[in-house]
Amino acid sequence: MSSSHLLPRMKPRVWIAAVSLVALGACSTGGGAVTDRSAAPSARPVTQGGSLVIGAEQEPDCADWIATCAGAIWGTYTMQVPTIPQVFDTRKVGGVWAPVPSDMMAGEPQATMQGGKQVITYKISPKAVWSDGKPISSADLKYTALQIRDGDDIFDKTGYDRIEKVDTPDAATAVVTLKSAYAGWRSLFSVYGVLPAHLLEGKDRAAIMKDGYSFSGGPWKIASWQKGTSVTLVPNDKYWGDKPKLDKVTFSFLPDTSAAFQALKSGQVDALYPSPQLDAINQIKAGLPGIQSQVDPQSGSLEAVWFNNAAAPFDSAAVRQAFSYAIDRKAIVQRIYGGLGVTQVAQSFNTPIVGAYAGQDFSAYQLDLGQVDSLMTGDGWAKGADGVWAKSGQRAEFTMVSLAANKRRDLMVQILQEQLKTAGFAMSVKTETPANLFSKITPKGAYQAGLWSLVDTFPDPTLSATFNSANIPSDANGFSGINFIRAKADGLDGLLEKVDTTLEVPARTEAAKQADAVIAKDALSLPLDTVPLVLLWADKVGGPLAINPVEGPFWNLEQWGIAS
Amino acid sequence: MVRYVLRRLVVSVPVLLIASMVLFWAVRKTFDPVAKLRQSQDPQAVQRAIEQQGLDRSLPEQYWLWLRAFAGGDWGSSSRTGEDVRSMIVHALWPTAQLAFWSIAVATVLAALVGVYSAVRQYSGADHFFTGLAYVGISLPAFWFGLVLIDLLAVGPRQRFGLAEPPLYFIGLHSNGQSGFDLDYLRHLVLPVATVSITLVATWSRFARSSMLDALASDYVRTARAKGVPRRRVIWRHAARNSAAPFLTVVALDAALLIGGLVVTEQIFAIPGMGRLFFASLGSGDVFVLVPWMLVVAAAIVLCNLLADIGYALLDPRVRLR
Repeated sequence: MSSSHLLPRMKPRVWIAAVSLVALGACSTGGGAVTDRSAAPSARPVTQGGSLVIGAEQEPDCADWIATCAGAIWGTYTMQVPTIPQVFDTRKVGGVWAPVPSDMMAGEPQATMQGGKQVITYKISPKAVWSDGKPISSADLKYTALQIRDGDDIFDKTGYDRIEKVDTPDAATAVVTLKSAYAGWRSLFSVYGVLPAHLLEGKDRAAIMKDGYSFSGGPWKIASWQKGTSVTLVPNDKYWGDKPKLDKVTFSFLPDTSAAFQALKSGQVDALYPSPQLDAINQIKAGLPGIQSQVDPQSGSLEAVWFNNAAAPFDSAAVRQAFSYAIDRKAIVQRIYGGLGVTQVAQSFNTPIVGAYAGQDFSAYQLDLGQVDSLMTGDGWAKGADGVWAKSGQRAEFTMVSLAANKRRDLMVQILQEQLKTAGFAMSVKTETPANLFSKITPKGAYQAGLWSLVDTFPDPTLSATFNSANIPSDANGFSGINFIRAKADGLDGLLEKVDTTLEVPARTEAAKQADAVIAKDALSLPLDTVPLVLLWADKVGGPLAINPVEGPFWNLEQWGIAS
Repeated sequence: MVRYVLRRLVVSVPVLLIASMVLFWAVRKTFDPVAKLRQSQDPQAVQRAIEQQGLDRSLPEQYWLWLRAFAGGDWGSSSRTGEDVRSMIVHALWPTAQLAFWSIAVATVLAALVGVYSAVRQYSGADHFFTGLAYVGISLPAFWFGLVLIDLLAVGPRQRFGLAEPPLYFIGLHSNGQSGFDLDYLRHLVLPVATVSITLVATWSRFARSSMLDALASDYVRTARAKGVPRRRVIWRHAARNSAAPFLTVVALDAALLIGGLVVTEQIFAIPGMGRLFFASLGSGDVFVLVPWMLVVAAAIVLCNLLADIGYALLDPRVRLR
């Protein structure tokens, strides 16, 4: 699932406020071992007991994970992942991120096509229980599926809207029938997880869950959520897997990055997972005594220049290609993230967490002013006295919209402006609030170019939502599509649809790479970088700390502890 | 006095009504109440919300319905969190009120002392020093000064002296699981209160000095001195008391602005107050919180204006409230 960035970091499944969901691509029906949460790198040994305080830069709006209010990614990190069981976890398998069945399952769910319909069979482990001791059952899967499919105010129904029926032949088996093939079926019950039917059925789910809930099917329970202040987790004694080492973990909401770093240095918090804003990068570069860190460039968040393919001057493929040759993307990445040791340019719109489906076609676009001249003159442009390209009285000038209050993007835009000026483009800058940008400007196509992020939130290719012409916002779809760039390219829709509906991995991968090549050839937009992930922790913290780009850095919090 | 207060309270009702009208109109014209739903994959989501919230009616109709519910205690629900707006504002008011109260208390005392001292020792070295300091204080931005204080008084000492924890805290008003007025609370209060107070002291001390100078130059002070009244008594009983009225008026008016004006301080010190609520609501275009929030701040300004007038009358016997 992919999405654009509205806030520094958002829910790993969909857009928030203004950003909508994207159809999930699909994974294969291939096998995979049932895993637990112990797949982690080497770690400092820990003692049993104690507590930690972790700084959270964003407070979730609500904890009703399937509702529209549950958009903040920190809700997923702090409460959803530790308490809500899910069918597939995201783990690194053979060096790439992939969905693997969680320890809630008795085995790999099986998906088959039967008469044009997709039938998925889920077998639940007999060990899996809720915090009140009741087994996690097929009724829970059925309840969750129908709540999402039929409910109002649901954040994202993608995939669930294809559910024809859910059968529960026994308490441990659920059979979900989809009306048509859905290659992204592994995201079902994995992004939202599974909710307890015996506690919620026939009741007001939103009222029970939105301010935090007492049930759990994970290693932790929510002990309290003090709005504006903190969320506290305590171990779930009934959890069937490895029990947490710590007695308590508190997430303190620290919205100011500079103050959060000071809190880490002062020992008021023990770990941070900051957005890589400039001040955070500078702090890390300057050195933090007594603080350990991990920087992972393999994230699901991709920053790109998005061209409005229906607005001048970017309605011309030659201009888009010339723009792409006019930019030194490596220099930009070096300038912004070099302090973290990150220098890799993104060469595909498939992020590293769906790297298996990505091509390298954008690597053709290196800084080459000769190519810029050739493409622009070939398209009928000529440089004016002011050094800016012009054609039929129209100058190659445009406005780049970006999100306000983001110093990193401000710097990025300034660098772009300088590079483009050298190449003969005149760029002005306009900043917008996320709500305005993604609910008014981009749906209406009222922009020329923009700088924002696309976020993959499940290890599954999802470019269809962003590049399929059926998803261009229009009256027909109530302006709910998120092909904001109005992309249309020969053969692209067919390839993207194949990615969405093909269950066989090799064929799907091939289609995804072909789609990538078409996007790059026409330079429908230009990927810049993947936003690196940064985890910082004090010396006192032990355990196998490692960033999971989908589930967040606290995916294995039960293994964290006080270093012995 | 009672009649005056009652009359002022009655007069404030139409003032707040007009304010609510203007605010409602301005906020609804600025933000789309269903912006969050416009990207929903559910094509009915927007229409459903419009019908549920009566957004398909004319703006005056919407205003009337909102006002009626608001007056009846139903302030609606936040489009961001789904929470009851009244409860959100009440919860946010308490930390802000605490921060504002302590900041005003500290700043009032310090500003009065500095103002009186500077006036009594006009053009002395100390007066020039305090004047210079005031200009520095006025020009210090809270976002910078707060972080400097954190570094100097919390992080620095902890690192320098190898302390297990910093001498002063800067996350919220209490440590997790703590509450009440205790040492923990005081250790949390010092830095945010100092951050807010510095600008207030700088500004108010100038008013206090100016007001005190006027009082010291007045006939009754000259008469008191001529009669041989001790200098300390002249300064504090005669001059300072009479200069307090204009000074406290400024304090009361500025105090009202603190209710909605501590955004930066609350953000830095992670205090879940009115400023942070406003910031979060503004960012998500939550019109259902923004209008009541602004109205509460407007009410606070009206109330503080009234308190300023009452205070003036109490401190200056020449003023009669009618």
